[in-house]
Amino acid sequence: MTALLDASGVSVAFSGILALDDVSVSVQAGERVGLIGPNGAGKTTLFNCLLGILRPDSGRVTLNGVDVGGWPVHRRARAGMGRTFQRVELFSDTTVREHLLIAERVRNGTGAFWKDLVGLGRPRPEEVAASEEVLELLGIAELAAKPVESLSLGQSRLVEVGRALMTGPQILLLDEPSSGLDRDETQALAATLRAVQDSKGYAVLLVEHDVSLVADFTERAYVLDSGALIAGGATGDVLADPAVRRAYLGSFEVS
Amino acid sequence: MSGAAGFFEDLFRGLLQGTPPGAVYALIALGFVLTYKTSGVFNLAFGAQAYISAAMYFKTHTLWGWPKWAALVVSAFVLAPLIGLVLERLIFRHLRTASAVSKLVVAIGLSVALPELFNQAARFTAVAGRQISGIMPDGAGVFYDPFGVYRFNRDELAMMAVALIATLLLAALFRFTMIGLAMRAVVESPRMTGLSGINADRVSAVAWALSSTFAGLAGVLIAPRFNSLISTEFFMLVVIAVAAAAVGKLVSLPRALLGGLGLGWFIAVFNTFLPRWSGDHTWLRPFQENLTPSLPFVVLFAVLVLWRAIGREREASDPLSGVDPPPPALAALERHPKLTLFTRLFGVGFIAVVGSVVWFRAGVLWMHLVTTAVIMSVIYLSVTVITGMAGQISLCQGTFAAIGGFTIFQMADRFNLSVLAAALLGAGVAAAVGAVLSLPVLRLGGVWLAIATLAFAFFFDAVMVKFSWVGGGTTALLTGTRVPRPLVGPVDFASDRAFLVLAVVVLVIVSIVVIQLREGTVGRTLTALRGSEVAAASIGISAARARIVAFAMSAAIAGLGGALLSMHQQNVNYSTNFGPVNALFWLVIVVALGARTVEGAIQAGAAFALFEPLILKGDLLAWILRGEDHLPGLFPMSGSWRLVLFGLMAIQFARHPEGLVEHGKRRASARINQWLEAER
Repeated sequence: MTALLDASGVSVAFSGILALDDVSVSVQAGERVGLIGPNGAGKTTLFNCLLGILRPDSGRVTLNGVDVGGWPVHRRARAGMGRTFQRVELFSDTTVREHLLIAERVRNGTGAFWKDLVGLGRPRPEEVAASEEVLELLGIAELAAKPVESLSLGQSRLVEVGRALMTGPQILLLDEPSSGLDRDETQALAATLRAVQDSKGYAVLLVEHDVSLVADFTERAYVLDSGALIAGGATGDVLADPAVRRAYLGSFEVS
Repeated sequence: MSGAAGFFEDLFRGLLQGTPPGAVYALIALGFVLTYKTSGVFNLAFGAQAYISAAMYFKTHTLWGWPKWAALVVSAFVLAPLIGLVLERLIFRHLRTASAVSKLVVAIGLSVALPELFNQAARFTAVAGRQISGIMPDGAGVFYDPFGVYRFNRDELAMMAVALIATLLLAALFRFTMIGLAMRAVVESPRMTGLSGINADRVSAVAWALSSTFAGLAGVLIAPRFNSLISTEFFMLVVIAVAAAAVGKLVSLPRALLGGLGLGWFIAVFNTFLPRWSGDHTWLRPFQENLTPSLPFVVLFAVLVLWRAIGREREASDPLSGVDPPPPALAALERHPKLTLFTRLFGVGFIAVVGSVVWFRAGVLWMHLVTTAVIMSVIYLSVTVITGMAGQISLCQGTFAAIGGFTIFQMADRFNLSVLAAALLGAGVAAAVGAVLSLPVLRLGGVWLAIATLAFAFFFDAVMVKFSWVGGGTTALLTGTRVPRPLVGPVDFASDRAFLVLAVVVLVIVSIVVIQLREGTVGRTLTALRGSEVAAASIGISAARARIVAFAMSAAIAGLGGALLSMHQQNVNYSTNFGPVNALFWLVIVVALGARTVEGAIQAGAAFALFEPLILKGDLLAWILRGEDHLPGLFPMSGSWRLVLFGLMAIQFARHPEGLVEHGKRRASARINQWLEAER
């Protein structure tokens, strides 16, 4: 069975320093996978390689068996890779609903220019309905008409998720969704994410610092340390691995 | 003389000749980099600051007869740093967290407003034919010839000496003093510097005073090379500085220094050799005649386009930039239906009254002014598309408009093509040029894109216009670039009334197109890109494609507007209508009044054509007061006050990117909304 998203033998060096050393990860359709590691382990670098923001020096990235190595970010996004951002990136000066409508239109908009001129470019009822459905699913329907600048961080994360969902992703890459949130907020976010994933069935790759969120949410996990993959497998086993605990917690003993 | 020896002697002479201006370019480039590094401001107002110092020097020395040293001290060492301190304290200190593009717009506003503000405040007018004299006694008359190939005069030696001393002092400051160290720290992260107990405000004030002194010095030193003191010459000076600074990617002081010197050398050597080659190759001649003044722009454009790494750097590299508060939310866009109905009725009524007054009562002059207002509104809609919708700053809208005008001129002159068809063709040509221009600069974005368009505008101005297949060449010099009015069936638009109707029809059509695009997929895609480019890519938006569409669309609208304006004036009038500096004012006035909406563009068009005759001449006030005469003493005011007013209004762009008038309207409508809600 070909993996949905597969990276094999990815290496990246920044001016001589090896940020990723022959790293291979893969995600199957519908699966929830975690990617953890201490600061500076290369998580973000790997994430950027998968999304096409960074070109690896060597190695292959495939989506559904197709080599996407040369594809720019937006083409990979159209092929089914959605994402969220660690530092929230929303379209300023728009409302929550407009956000989702933009994403929906990108997915199914063709011949935009001429359609716009004759007035076919305005939001269609079925598009609005689709956006309502996603907002409903995320539990933020009451925020639809709010400008995004007025949202809290947790709400902004949900809007990012909603925006990604509107593109109909096969895999959603979440970049440290817990950063900046307290424990309650993180748990609420995790619950929403799981509920939405259950109903939509896309795969998730979660890059995370917060081990408890990974333990809660993922089935399988990879651990990066200093640019190398030091463990991979079922999340429970991985987190129990002494090598992982050493990498994560430093040299002091855990009783 | 053998060929090789002669060649090297000429080369050496060229290098020597290029050193004094190169030294001044280096000086201003250093100042430019210093401001950019310490406050992130791409200070295009540097040219204006240099102009003010030069004008002050001229006024005190030449007009008032002060001794040279006193004039130099007052203009370059007192006035220049003072201006820098005032700008920093009043404006840029509050913009430290604003985006680079909004700071650029603020600087453009200042570059339009400052020279005129000085001229009005100091009652300064350039005296034609009286050149400013250099800073040395008898500077232009005493020569030294150290190498036996080129004779430096005293002023040139002074230029080199001043630049050398200033550079050494700057290097010493950075190396040996606390404030220099603090400056280097502020560059990395103003917030981090603040956390470690350094007063970032003081550091940035010092940097501004210092760099403004450099600008003032450069202005005084370079001024004798210009025929008369005109602020636009000094604006070109800052473009040269940008070219020099771009060689060092805007951050390296030593490279900016080399870039400045290198430009001086390059231009002088080019000047020496190109005339000989073009003796053998006649097709080189138009380039030879025109390329030299535009060399800095060519260099700048080439650096931007060819240097792959430039513009890639992330704008916010400050590790603490994440702690910035988010930008303030714009005032509510939602309106009460009653309010919408009321404003629409008011708008229709207003247009009906104004329209009928113009139609039945207006004389030739007012017909002309109103038509100009309508046509400028069309042109300004092109700014709405590129700046309001796409969030990009284009400084070559005048060039696109000129392409529209020149297309009609050429088509009517050579092929006798129908004028309206030629206007559409002009819009098409402008769109094609816009699309082609956007290809190499696509990956730039932001400030770099603005600078590339500026370089293109100056290049077009210096080189392209001179070609006979563009600007008409020598025949145009004799007869002007004449453009006929269209004649469609029985309707002859030579009548001013008929032409006004045509202009209004075009404005309505273009407005509808812009609104349709803004509400449709194109507009939403551009909104997304303006909001966050990475997020837009993450949902599958191709920034390159969207920008090509925006650029082509904007260029087409500008081309159509330019064609209309040429028809209206029955002449292209390139330099009065479409020069690069005109386009700067266009951007400023649209941004000041509202770049996001169609009404904003129309207000800007009206302000462009009517502000001076209505307000500045005092006609409106006199009419309201029913006075016999305009208020004596105050009116008529100089037309350049509009440059000051709108230039200063554009400063607000950083805080209110939707435009000051639009901002006021939104706030007012929010208040009325509340009131209407409360009534219920």
